[in-house]
Amino acid sequence: MIELIIFLVLMTLGYLVGQYAEKRHYESIIKREQKLKNLPTIASRFPPPGKRLDQQLVMGSTVISIDYFKRFIATLRNLFGGRVTSYESLLDRARRESLLRMKEQANELGAEYVFNVKYETASISKGRNNTIGSVEVLAYGTALLRPSEAP
Amino acid sequence: MKFEQRDIPEGINVTQVHPLRELAVLLGGAVLLIVLLVYLLGLSAGFLARYIPFEMELELASSFSEETKSEGDIQRYLTRINDQVVAAMALPEGMQITLHYNNDDTVNAFATLGGHVVVFRGLLEKLPNENALAMLLAHEIAHVKHRDPIVSVGRGLTISAVLGLVLGQSDLGVLGDTGLYTLLHFNREMEREADREALEAVYRIYGHTRGADDLFRVLQTYREEAGGDDGFEVLQTHPLDWKRINAIDSLARTNGWDVEGDITPIPETFFSDLKRSEKSSEE
Repeated sequence: MIELIIFLVLMTLGYLVGQYAEKRHYESIIKREQKLKNLPTIASRFPPPGKRLDQQLVMGSTVISIDYFKRFIATLRNLFGGRVTSYESLLDRARRESLLRMKEQANELGAEYVFNVKYETASISKGRNNTIGSVEVLAYGTALLRPSEAP
Repeated sequence: MKFEQRDIPEGINVTQVHPLRELAVLLGGAVLLIVLLVYLLGLSAGFLARYIPFEMELELASSFSEETKSEGDIQRYLTRINDQVVAAMALPEGMQITLHYNNDDTVNAFATLGGHVVVFRGLLEKLPNENALAMLLAHEIAHVKHRDPIVSVGRGLTISAVLGLVLGQSDLGVLGDTGLYTLLHFNREMEREADREALEAVYRIYGHTRGADDLFRVLQTYREEAGGDDGFEVLQTHPLDWKRINAIDSLARTNGWDVEGDITPIPETFFSDLKRSEKSSEE
């Protein structure tokens, strides 16, 4: 009985806090994306021809973890298969947040573009039991800066 | 070549499903699956457990030991009634009943693996007549005869083993409890069967069934007085007392068994022996 109560409390807390945090985070992401709209991030490996620009590595990384509610739904998904929708929004937030951090760094450097943008995801918990399931999402690219001094 | 940042529409990488809806669908499905699994496992394990030879059950229960010392007179009287009941019940060959008297206030009696039947002083003190005592013993012996103890142990072990294997240490362990609730239902079936068999035995011994339902009246009164469910886990799996009284009444009627007759009293010395045994336990 006590186990059931603990379970229900964790589920309720996980749901309420998790939903609230997610809603706020998305608001912040959308706002910041609008702000950095004019700094293009491009997957192409080759910078625009004809321009001589300085290059610098920029990166943004986010580590995310899951709440009890989302994990419970994902465990249930293990039984039935299908889209693990509870993780989708979480990873979407992590990717966008990482990209935003990278762009913020590039913006501070005064970059015109960020080229060769790539994502990398690493599991920190590596599926071990009794650890918090968490994932790191890293976004990195080459910032192209206007030359600081004439050659 | 021109590079520019365009707005990406929202919600491409996220499926728009309300989390609570998702939870309801998945949880409902999981509970349904587990209940089905437990039901099938219980059915098959119960079916197979009946084929375990009684000798093997005796070996399983050989570690079971109940203290029954210095209660000579009580034990002698109980054994006499027990022998009457056993004779009336036509137990299969090789099945033996070992009766234990437990000097404790608990209002209960139970049958367990290996044909061991335990009656507590608390319940014996409340019995109004020998017919009710015979009904009580016959009920517990009927459990042994039907192999109920080995069936429920077999069931319980199988279900907890499989659920443990499937759900493991994950968060879904909570769902394993749903399996236990379905087990209660099986037990009621067993209780009804044991009541039926016991009433038949009482009829064979006394030539009528009067006094048999006194056992359930005693339990009902005790339960109403106790009010709570303290220490009553075992009896809670039983059908409601008034339902049992009605059931055995109608059973006696359909079989044409006499419901009126002379009630055999329990000798006064038995109760004084019980009192003495209570005092000796307090010292």
